[in-house]
Amino acid sequence: MSSTAVASATAVPDNLERAIALLESGAAERERRGELLARAFELRSGRERPGRFWKIDVDALDLSGIRVGEACAPQISLPANPAVVAVDLATGMREHREIAQRAWGRAVDPRAAKFAALAAALRNTGAFVYVPADIALDEPIEILYSAQGGALFPSTLVVLERGAQCTVVERLRGAAGTLVCGITEIVSAEGAQVTYAVDQQLDADTQALFTRAARPGKDARVNWALAELGGHLCVSSLEVVVEQPGVHADLAALFFPREDQHVDVNSNVDHRVGNSRSETLVKSAATGRGQGRYLGNIRIAPHAQRTEAALRDDALLLSPKAHIDSIPALEIGANDVKAYHGATVGAIDDEQIFYMTSRGLEPEAAEKMIALGFFEPAIERFPTHALREALRASLEEKVRS
Amino acid sequence: MITADTRNPSGAPDSGLRITDLHVTVADTPILKGITLAVEPGSVHALMGPNGSGKSTLAFSLTGHPHYAVESGSVTLDGQDLLVLAPDKRAKAGLFLSFQYPSAIPGVKVANFLYAARQAVRPGSLTPAQFRAMLMEKMELLDMDPAFLGRYLNDGFSGGEKKRLEMLQMAVLAPKYAVLDETDSGLDVDALRAVGESVKGLRAGAEGKDTGFLIITHYPRILQHITADVVHVMMDGRIVKEGDASLALRIEREGYDTIREEIGQLV
Repeated sequence: MSSTAVASATAVPDNLERAIALLESGAAERERRGELLARAFELRSGRERPGRFWKIDVDALDLSGIRVGEACAPQISLPANPAVVAVDLATGMREHREIAQRAWGRAVDPRAAKFAALAAALRNTGAFVYVPADIALDEPIEILYSAQGGALFPSTLVVLERGAQCTVVERLRGAAGTLVCGITEIVSAEGAQVTYAVDQQLDADTQALFTRAARPGKDARVNWALAELGGHLCVSSLEVVVEQPGVHADLAALFFPREDQHVDVNSNVDHRVGNSRSETLVKSAATGRGQGRYLGNIRIAPHAQRTEAALRDDALLLSPKAHIDSIPALEIGANDVKAYHGATVGAIDDEQIFYMTSRGLEPEAAEKMIALGFFEPAIERFPTHALREALRASLEEKVRS
Repeated sequence: MITADTRNPSGAPDSGLRITDLHVTVADTPILKGITLAVEPGSVHALMGPNGSGKSTLAFSLTGHPHYAVESGSVTLDGQDLLVLAPDKRAKAGLFLSFQYPSAIPGVKVANFLYAARQAVRPGSLTPAQFRAMLMEKMELLDMDPAFLGRYLNDGFSGGEKKRLEMLQMAVLAPKYAVLDETDSGLDVDALRAVGESVKGLRAGAEGKDTGFLIITHYPRILQHITADVVHVMMDGRIVKEGDASLALRIEREGYDTIREEIGQLV
């Protein structure tokens, strides 16, 4: 037990302990899950309230009332290439045990973060994607998590061998009134390329708590594209651990709290070795009484020379009560590196509105075009035309309201 | 909106862009101190003057920019009171301003914006296919790469590219009255040529043959590319002299000083 962990440990609710018994029959696994559950209640979330105006105290979330859903499986598209594995997690663990065990926990250490521990302890669904060496899959693998009965705890594990290429689209829907708490891990070998997009549009009264991380191999490429659009509360973390040279990591995220939604996104790129590149782009807007926070971390270790890291973070406020905190955190320990950072927070520029209305557009139409245009650079990072169009439509819906 | 029916024939009593005794302040400072001029359909007027005379203020006041407060006076467009209208309604009435410094709107594609603007000002006049064909034709005349259409509005554009896009908008919208703010275009030969060609092009087409132009400029050079019917000289917020195109030549030769002396002001 780490000394930083125990702030004030909360008792583990009985219903969650019982849920583990229902989900897991093996004694060793039950014990492991039990430990993780206890860990989840020891750890703080790391998402402290900056002040009383912040509507939600993530550490005060009452998890005791959660009804954990039965074990289930997501809908997964069938890969065109039969050598590629894309199955539900239970099947994956059974039929590809060695590969899964090797990769499991390498990108996300479930003991290290509150909601990762919770997700791992109560895991009741998941997906396993495995792409063998030098196989390039053109069509994206689509995973749909649809929460219908009870809280959902998905774990998605993506493993790419040397030179493999694939795109994965993870969709999250449903979950009226409850919790979805999950983990996504990507582990890739030398030269592999993966694009992983998340289309999170859970119901308006849901809580979405996600921990996602990638650990790419030498010369490998990782593209993350996250759209966190649903849920009353969304707490999301996104990470790339760069411990091999030649890695190219792109992280893109967009979120848009409206009405009284609350979104809290962390991203972290940890350049532990040099000769690597990363680019992080986050676009957020808020309207109504929506609140958002983005914490963008870039770390370059002292010996990680010839690293190039860029962080771009823009926030657009569309109503007087909307609030977004944008916090860049660059920790640069090496001296032969390039690090770029740019950020803006503000309302729509009146001059832009004037320019557009001077061409006949009505002010509301101009605002809408500007707000949607604002997200475009992030939308372009999503891998398929259909997905980009769907996201544009969802954003348009949010702007219109 | 602009339709064939609402066009007033040249010579009808209330036709024209008519500015009468216009007084405008900016942040409580009086800038325009009684401007009167009228642009008839199909005519080209130039408004010239030294820097600080209020030229851009006039341009922005005509389009209804919120920072410019009209204290008194009137502006009518073919008989319609413009000053009571919001900027988008003024555009629909047939007014267009080519900006000296157009705003960049990241993420909004040029093609989408042009279509939305055309629909706002001349709704239903072209099918999407006809619109596209018209767009291509106008872009070719302006020597613009079709790739422009997929770029974001003025985002990362050079000065010349911004000028071309302003002229493309003018061509696509075919306004009744076009105010061209060229106060800082100066000696940018490329920009001046683009503006000159665009004005000619618009007047030569079916939709723009009666368009009236008000070209606002510091430097006379632009009038080498466009022949003005009337030249107005503005100083310190007032129109102090009017003449024909030869007045512009005189300013090119002598500058504004002799005119200042003529009207009794010290340099």
